[in-house]
Amino acid sequence: MRNLRSKKLSYLSFILPAFLIYVGIMVFPVVFSLALSFTKWKGFGPMEFVGLDNYVRMFSDPVFYIGLRNNILIVLVSVFGQIPLGLLLAYMLHRKMVRGAKKFEVLIFLPITISSVIVAQLWNRVFSPIGILPSIVRSLTGNSEYIMTIFESKAYAIVPIMFVLLWQHTSLYMVIFLANLQRIPDSIIEAAQMEGASEGTIFLKIIAPMLAPVAFINSILAISGSFKSFDLIYSMTGGGPAHYTEVMAVYMYDTTFVYQNYGYGSALSIIIILFIVAAIMLTRAATKKFNFD
Amino acid sequence: MNDRSLLRRAPLSWRASAYVIMIAFAVLTIFPLVWLGYSSLKPNAEIVKYPLALPKAPSFSNYAEAWKKGGLDVALLNSFLYTAVATVSTLFLALAAAFGLTKFPFASKKFFTGAFALGLMITVHAVIIPLFLLEVRIGLVNTRLGVILPYIAFDLPISVMIAISFIKGIPDAILESAEIDGAKYRQVFWLMIVPLCTPVATTMLILSFLRHWNEFLFVFIFTTKTALKSLPVAITQFAGRQNIEYGLQYASLVIGILPMIVFYFIFHSQLRKGFGEGALKE
Repeated sequence: MRNLRSKKLSYLSFILPAFLIYVGIMVFPVVFSLALSFTKWKGFGPMEFVGLDNYVRMFSDPVFYIGLRNNILIVLVSVFGQIPLGLLLAYMLHRKMVRGAKKFEVLIFLPITISSVIVAQLWNRVFSPIGILPSIVRSLTGNSEYIMTIFESKAYAIVPIMFVLLWQHTSLYMVIFLANLQRIPDSIIEAAQMEGASEGTIFLKIIAPMLAPVAFINSILAISGSFKSFDLIYSMTGGGPAHYTEVMAVYMYDTTFVYQNYGYGSALSIIIILFIVAAIMLTRAATKKFNFD
Repeated sequence: MNDRSLLRRAPLSWRASAYVIMIAFAVLTIFPLVWLGYSSLKPNAEIVKYPLALPKAPSFSNYAEAWKKGGLDVALLNSFLYTAVATVSTLFLALAAAFGLTKFPFASKKFFTGAFALGLMITVHAVIIPLFLLEVRIGLVNTRLGVILPYIAFDLPISVMIAISFIKGIPDAILESAEIDGAKYRQVFWLMIVPLCTPVATTMLILSFLRHWNEFLFVFIFTTKTALKSLPVAITQFAGRQNIEYGLQYASLVIGILPMIVFYFIFHSQLRKGFGEGALKE
């Protein structure tokens, strides 16, 4: 028999390299971030302790509210756009309603591999005065001066971004639903057909409820995804013009790294984390409740 | 699959709508990419005057120029370096940790496993500010290591979890028989565990590659030198510039997109499986 001590040493030698990198880079800074959020600091010089001032300031900061509003809109487009559309697409593919369903699936899932910042640049080109969309509108309406002005609208500047998010992520939900649809035996649909149920009834009354847990968990993932969203929006608009397309993560970045306000930036990042952690806790609870692994 | 089941086809109205929706989605997905592709072969004047038209005399000159002006050769090399080192390191670190956490009888493994699980909740935003300050302090800012280490760290929690759930399924008898034979644990890991993990390692590698290749924020914040930029950062800065060299912008975007399309078609089934399982989404 080998002695226990050398076995324990081997055990630690397997775990510790990963563990130390993880703790040093992820765990230690989180604690530091929380501490920073109670200070006023420009990145150099003395750090001033200001208690909860940074958090109090958020409540009277109009940009924070625009960011929050836009984050919520992004959640809404996921929950009421991407997820139902993804489910519908998955069902149509699963039921082989089109010839070459597999080919459509492959094409539609394609954006998953393209970097968000490049997706953003691609769509900026599509929307630009010499892009696809204005060109088509010009040739359809005969108005040769047409350009898109929605980006200058305070209320609607976020809409094109929501559209791009729909373009980028719907197929992800489609693939998740497809994987789960394949676990549902065909006999369930067969039986419903024998009973004379219409396709709409089968979809809405049988399949959709069976996939409700998946949809619910997707929704919560969409919430945490929304608060994390940085790359696409930063690359498309940088939160502008005049903060119309601001989201919390972009605002946190600007506050910290452009305006060197480390304390307030850290407070913003703590609030983002709280939203994400809440969403993940909900996911966990839901996963347990639906007994769904 | 059971093609000849009793399943009846969907009614015509559903099939017709399915065609409309599928074609709409496919066109929306493909057309912007195709348009970008052929537009990148046009000279600037043609792009401005006839935005939708096919190139009159297709030319790759935009590519040569974008490649040089955008510094994309260096960026491509950096992307490969960051991605390869981070992806391979994460894989082996995670497999080793998971081996230790599943096949050894020590009580502390509960603590370590729990600590890694907690990491699933820590997001980039939680650490980006202090991590930047830390990297400035110890001189890791503007180094390749300063990018690669966070890449590895952020990929570890999910990778360790995936590896644990797989290695759990490998019978304990393997370790026991090795102990009787007097084999070293290191040998057991490299000669038995790693080869047995090939199926899960493939999925881990592909998803990890994708995350690292497309990563933006760490490189963007932790490096200021052009020589250290990755492809997404270099292309964003080049194509996003308010210049009017549209042909060059388009060409640089194609350079960013095309390799990923090739990657997509090679690994489609693994990607579909990995993302379809859902848990890997984050």
